[in-house]
Amino acid sequence: MRTRHQFIPIEDARVGMVLGVAANAIEKGLLSLTLPAGHTLTEDSLGQLVAHHAEFIQIEYPDTRTDETVAEEVAVAARRVMDIFEDADLSDPTLATLFDQVLAYRSE
Amino acid sequence: MTRTPVTHDQVRKLSRSLPSFPSLLKEILATLDDPDANFNVLTRTIARDPLISARVLWVANTAAVRGRREAEVTDIATATSLAGMTRVRHIALISSLSTFAGGIRHKLPTAFWPHSVSVGVCCEEMVQHVDVPVTAASALVAGLLHDIGQLWLSHFNATQLAACWQDAQQRHIPIESAEIEFFGVNHATIGAWMAELWALPADIVAAIAGHHQPLEGPTFATSPATHHLVDLIHVGEVLSNALDLGGRSRNRVNNLSGAACKRLGLVWDENAHLLFGRVEARSRHANTIFALPQR
Repeated sequence: MRTRHQFIPIEDARVGMVLGVAANAIEKGLLSLTLPAGHTLTEDSLGQLVAHHAEFIQIEYPDTRTDETVAEEVAVAARRVMDIFEDADLSDPTLATLFDQVLAYRSE
Repeated sequence: MTRTPVTHDQVRKLSRSLPSFPSLLKEILATLDDPDANFNVLTRTIARDPLISARVLWVANTAAVRGRREAEVTDIATATSLAGMTRVRHIALISSLSTFAGGIRHKLPTAFWPHSVSVGVCCEEMVQHVDVPVTAASALVAGLLHDIGQLWLSHFNATQLAACWQDAQQRHIPIESAEIEFFGVNHATIGAWMAELWALPADIVAAIAGHHQPLEGPTFATSPATHHLVDLIHVGEVLSNALDLGGRSRNRVNNLSGAACKRLGLVWDENAHLLFGRVEARSRHANTIFALPQR
């Protein structure tokens, strides 16, 4: 099944959500807690994340959109990226790589 | 083509008629290297401000519920311990500047503050992704204040500023270039003059001055360490615009300093998507919590 990833603030996290990437809590520069990608949040693990001052997590959820809807959304997003970079000189390598990555990110 | 040249002296004089710059912000910046003093300054100052207190208690009680703590948190010291110093500092800094900006905005697009918040959290987040000696709090404050010169222009030259923006849009030139034609200086220089007047740290003054041209800004003497913050604010604003944050229809990317990216060690490859995702989520969240009241 196709899935999507989304970052959410910890206040919006719910039991049963699945982590899209490992959740790491860092305090005073040290890794204080890590939960692996694919972990399903429980009351305990959610409580641990909060206790370790985690602020955001990335979750993974099923993508129920049709292929047609996906294509339409990607096209709209790409047009907006083109508008934003309309006045940029894309022969500049730094600008060009940023443009490419934003376009790729919006196509995910 | 300059219509009304804006001078350093004029900015200094007129800025005195603006609301007082939040002292909390300078106190926090002054104690960043002293965790104990910072905790005391934070808790003492937050306790004096009902809006910040309410936000901190809300975050702490959300954390308390998730941590299955039964009693409601009602004191700031406990709330700060529960929510974490970094987060409480973040809330205090954005809240105090939000109140300040809300007091002096005048005929600005409604997206001014959301854009400032987006750039602030973008810069704060980028500190976690680059290996340079810049604190998250300095990055946040410099990001929040980077366009403060536009607030000054809108307050004292609203009509000309509107004409300037329209001109920039029609001619497809950067706003900061059009401002030089209209006012003799751009909002980055005006903002840096204001920051100097408020006695903000030199690196923040330099970051505001150089956020459109990180290699320039000779008026504001910079050390190598200061350059990192200038670079960070420059890239942070470009990234905020590139990701279309802050709800601005006029988000545009005109230039990006390759030298600044190189000094920060930033490489734009697929690994940057994680940064994009975090920046987007944090910007959306911060703009929900710290929106200015409707007027």
